[in-house]
Amino acid sequence: MNALKIDNITKRFGDFFAVRDLSFSVASGGIYSLLGPNGAGKTTTIRMVMNIIIPDSGSVRVFGQPMNENMKQEIGYLPEDRGLYPKMKVGELLMFLAELKSVRKADARREIDIWLERLELTEWKNKKVEELSKGMQQKIQFIATVIHSPRLIILDEPFSGLDPVNTKLMKDIMLEMKADKKTIIFSTHRMEQVEMISDDICLINKGRMVLEGPLHRIKNDYGKNTVILEYEGDASVLSGQAEVDKIDDYGKYMEIKLNEGADPQALLHKIVGRIRISKFEVQEPTLNAIFIDKVEGRR
Amino acid sequence: MSKILTVIKREYFQMVKSKGFIIGTVLGPVLMAGIILIPMVFSMMSVEDQETIAVVDESRVIYAGLESKLDMKLKDGRLRYLLEEVPPRGNPEEILSDLNQKVLAKELSAYLYLPADVAEEGKAEFVSLHVADFDKTRLINEALNGVVIEKRLRGEGLDPEKINEYTRGVRLTTKKVTKQGAEEDRGGTFLIAYVLVLILYMTLIFYGAIIMRGVIEEKNSRMVEIILSSLKPFQLMSGKILGIAAVGLTQYGVWALFGVALSQYGGRFMSGVMPSAAGIRIPTIPVYIFVFFVVFFILGYFLYGTVYAAIGSMVNSEKEAQQLMMPVTMFLVIPILLMMFVIRSPESSMSVVLSLIPLFAPILMLLRVCILIPPPLQIGASIVLLLLSILLMIWVAAKIYRVGILMYGKRPRFGEVLRWMKYK
Repeated sequence: MNALKIDNITKRFGDFFAVRDLSFSVASGGIYSLLGPNGAGKTTTIRMVMNIIIPDSGSVRVFGQPMNENMKQEIGYLPEDRGLYPKMKVGELLMFLAELKSVRKADARREIDIWLERLELTEWKNKKVEELSKGMQQKIQFIATVIHSPRLIILDEPFSGLDPVNTKLMKDIMLEMKADKKTIIFSTHRMEQVEMISDDICLINKGRMVLEGPLHRIKNDYGKNTVILEYEGDASVLSGQAEVDKIDDYGKYMEIKLNEGADPQALLHKIVGRIRISKFEVQEPTLNAIFIDKVEGRR
Repeated sequence: MSKILTVIKREYFQMVKSKGFIIGTVLGPVLMAGIILIPMVFSMMSVEDQETIAVVDESRVIYAGLESKLDMKLKDGRLRYLLEEVPPRGNPEEILSDLNQKVLAKELSAYLYLPADVAEEGKAEFVSLHVADFDKTRLINEALNGVVIEKRLRGEGLDPEKINEYTRGVRLTTKKVTKQGAEEDRGGTFLIAYVLVLILYMTLIFYGAIIMRGVIEEKNSRMVEIILSSLKPFQLMSGKILGIAAVGLTQYGVWALFGVALSQYGGRFMSGVMPSAAGIRIPTIPVYIFVFFVVFFILGYFLYGTVYAAIGSMVNSEKEAQQLMMPVTMFLVIPILLMMFVIRSPESSMSVVLSLIPLFAPILMLLRVCILIPPPLQIGASIVLLLLSILLMIWVAAKIYRVGILMYGKRPRFGEVLRWMKYK
């Protein structure tokens, strides 16, 4: 069964189409990432899934049922614009949010304690939110998202503003939930994380779908047409070579997209001795390259 | 429904537990009592000292009478006004400039200049450093009037005593008809109306601002979308407005208890502390007036509260909200300005129409209820109109709110807000 199925949803604000005829479905269990540049319509899409804004047309189904207020119980949502009442005590605030999700009081109390313990925040339970550091507040927001043990978890830019320690924590919890047969949808524009944990991706740009499917298949489809090069020296020798289609140069590291049918060995042969090469690897394109390729291709 | 209840509970307890609320609720009536009682106390124990007033009497016939009329005593038995006759010899201008110097040097508190034809022309001058003490000038003026009139009457061969007797006025007692029969009313009705209407006005503005601030806080702290993952924007808005209404009623409840205590024991307390205050009667508020007061508070609260909620959702800061609040506040100020008119003619068709206009109704209909009991049809009509406008306002505000709370950045123009209302 699909955890989420979106059919031809469209949302207009005045003359601006935030989302246009978007359809995709997310299978139950697994991590699905919603990708796109800033302003692509990711947040609008997620808000429509959450019934926070209503699509002009099209439908959203969650676990086979049309999305409505009652289905909000099944979903845990971490918005991109997130914050907490600064004057409330951590414990009271989590209790309030759990009650809004209709969690029974006793269950809520137990879950709150388990999560605070797990995220090392127990001694902050009776402190006001404003006394917490930003990182701690992010953890509290996350607890609020999962306090009612939802089957579907939607995280809008979950890693934004997290330090490396909390990023790792977030990633670990996401994987744990996946193992627990939960479905996770998250949006981001940072590709390295997606590449590491996503099962399926959906790339949208300007409100429309650009690319969708299992990550491994998408990369496979692109074929091994990319060379990863780590080097020292003057990289200008590479430009103008017949095999090279596009170069993404970082100074000491570069990703080279080859022309169709080009032989990487021939390219290697041409540059050997002209720059110092510490790594030359032929592989599938990175998701980053695919992303840039697709988004720029549309422009 | 239980979700709205959760929001109501949070709003209520967060507010009631806050220091501001406790201070406002307890201190409010204390302050109010202070505002009423302190001037009374001060006027009763005003520090007075003997004042020397020079009198230049060119007519030479007034001074003696004036001295015997201005015989008020201070508490220690001395005369309050010590008169000092200045013989009008020599150049009058010199005399007056000499007196001016003495007033400036504070040797004299004031001087009175009576020209030779004071009785005929009826003109005199009172010169002092400050002439804002109306009580003093009134006393002196009355005394002078008395002397001059007596003199005129005697000049015509009439007996002032007799004339006084003939021209004695009638003492008019004002009574108000109620179901219990006629009762004497010495301005108590007016006082109650005035105080209740002002409390209503202030609490409507106050609680409106609290709703607005709450919405802005939710928006600014970015709490709102987390909450919206559990309920509808409309539920959040309703919960907030209802929760703060409960806070308002709690506050009213405390104040009502205080009011009952004050009208029961206040007079006794005052006369215990200060025997001279025994005459002060603290008017009691009839129960039906209090009921209408609460009814119109609730109705006015919901009408204005939804407007304030919508405004809060449109802006990013309280500063931005100020401009938008202005016109709303105006609708509360206008009835206050019209108050005197309605008190004077509570049954004129103008008053009736004004008190039916929903934005004015809470204040003006309550005012009319306090002064006289308007026909039930009019009260009913104003309540029905208020309810209808509240429903309309809730509909409009909900449409603005659900879009506004998710909009950050530039404050929307009016046209944009209208467009929001068309969003599905």
